[in-house]
Amino acid sequence: MAGRSFTLPEMTVVVAVVAIVVAIATYLTWIARRLDRLGVRVDAAHAGLVAQLTARAEAAGALAASRGLVPLAAAAEQALAGHAALRAGAALDTGVENTENELSRALRAGEVGTAGQGAPKLLHAVDSAAARVALARQLHNDAVRDLRALRGRRLVRVTRLGSRRLLPAYFEIDDALPARAEAWPSDVEEQPAPAETQPDAGAAVGQEGLA
Amino acid sequence: MRIGLACPYTWDIPGGVQVHVRDLAETLIAAGHEVSVITPVDDEDELPSYAVDAGRALPVPYNGSVSRVLMGPVSAARVRRWLREHDFDVLHVHEPTAPSIGLLACMLADGPIVGTFHTANPRSKILTAAQGALQPSLEKLRARIAVSEAARRTIVEHLGTSAVLIPNGVRVAAFTDARPLPGYEPPRNTVCFLGRIDEPRKGLDVLLAALPELARRVPDVRLLVAGPGDVAAVRARLDPSLRPRVDLVGLVPNKDKARVFASADVYCAPNTGQESFGIVLLEAMAAGTPVMASDLDAFRRVLGDGQAGRLFGVGEPAQLAAGLAELLADDAARAALARRGRVVVTGFDWPVIAESIVDIYRMVTVGAGPVQLASAAEV
Repeated sequence: MAGRSFTLPEMTVVVAVVAIVVAIATYLTWIARRLDRLGVRVDAAHAGLVAQLTARAEAAGALAASRGLVPLAAAAEQALAGHAALRAGAALDTGVENTENELSRALRAGEVGTAGQGAPKLLHAVDSAAARVALARQLHNDAVRDLRALRGRRLVRVTRLGSRRLLPAYFEIDDALPARAEAWPSDVEEQPAPAETQPDAGAAVGQEGLA
Repeated sequence: MRIGLACPYTWDIPGGVQVHVRDLAETLIAAGHEVSVITPVDDEDELPSYAVDAGRALPVPYNGSVSRVLMGPVSAARVRRWLREHDFDVLHVHEPTAPSIGLLACMLADGPIVGTFHTANPRSKILTAAQGALQPSLEKLRARIAVSEAARRTIVEHLGTSAVLIPNGVRVAAFTDARPLPGYEPPRNTVCFLGRIDEPRKGLDVLLAALPELARRVPDVRLLVAGPGDVAAVRARLDPSLRPRVDLVGLVPNKDKARVFASADVYCAPNTGQESFGIVLLEAMAAGTPVMASDLDAFRRVLGDGQAGRLFGVGEPAQLAAGLAELLADDAARAALARRGRVVVTGFDWPVIAESIVDIYRMVTVGAGPVQLASAAEV
């Protein structure tokens, strides 16, 4: 028999060391998988956000073209110009935030709401696209937050597990919707007062739901 | 789209989450989507054709009530098979913080996953303690939806993340043309109450305390009280002179809820707290019955700050009596409330709500492949 055999305490130590190494390796692999998966989620959220930004810029461009709104057309054009690079994976950096903020500001201009009255469908398309941008931005920032949280763990920092990709940044723009909606549609609120006082009118409305 | 819905709670036991999943599934199917639901169920015959059995859930006492959990290897195998057999574009798990099918599906799948949070729980120590263990599953959710502002706040506070607010839907059509119950055709000075009659926070006692004063002002006023609980005990507590005015009909089947609303001139929601949403208010509005509700945050929000329904101070019988008397005497005011209620409720009609949810599905599936099984190593 070549070499000496291990004593029982030595065996115990070896087994324990192997077990610890295996456990650490498994744990690190698991963390690495989570980081990968979060990376995929951030990329998907990035793609989703860019798609919504493009949809908003296109809707704004269509409204601007139909109503001759020059500043809005320019802002939409400006935003669209940068979207091809974003679709290729460029970062949503401060430059992009500024451009999209310009478009938000242009959309909030009073003349847009006024001119939009003449093209309610186009205006509605712009408003719902803007709402979707806000939604997509929230999904994006949630994904970024989850990834940053895991990347910030000491173990991940020390082992440099996450360092293969840049730490993604939050995307912060002012995407609040312009206040256009009325509290109550006019056909509900502006019921002519005399009709209310006629007993028949009141009864008819009441019975609609009871019949 | 091919959509998989994972429901955490036993299908054939009544509950808000189950109703939500059922209504969402049926609305999506009607809109032309391919939908499959996986859910625990006690009696498999109760399952509709679009649902798959995940097994029987175990009752576990939790937080003062009985919760049912389902996390075993058998259900895991069923969820895996379900995921493999359906090539879902999106997986939508419900209540992924509960130890049941929603969480299980979330653990076993990878890809575009959406989660809806139903529970509002302001101080859940369990949820806070479990956050670390849940995080690996919850971070798979590409979008998080909360059904109420309170549920959203729960997520923000306990799980450190945000959620999109998409409220519960109402099947408006199911409430619009109901006949009044026998003896209420047509309703005359009738106020209805719907909910557990022996659960203090549902507030029946507030309404009963308002009754003597209300009866003084409106001599022929009647109370129609529907909901499960000990009818005899409630009747025994009533002043004998008031008993003839109070009609305790006990539990009414779901399909007759609309008829209860149709039997009343006013629906009263005297709840004293912990209501996170107020779906019953919306159902009353869908039925065209004016609402008188206590001034809780959730109710105030649904009623548009009192424009689509009247509000009274929480737990204030005197205010309630005065408000009800005034409303019963004013046909025009009731008609106006009914009209505004109908406008409010169209925003909560299931097709509208489902469209917002599909919007989220579309957003998380941009450029993404179908839902897949997670590799065994990470489960």
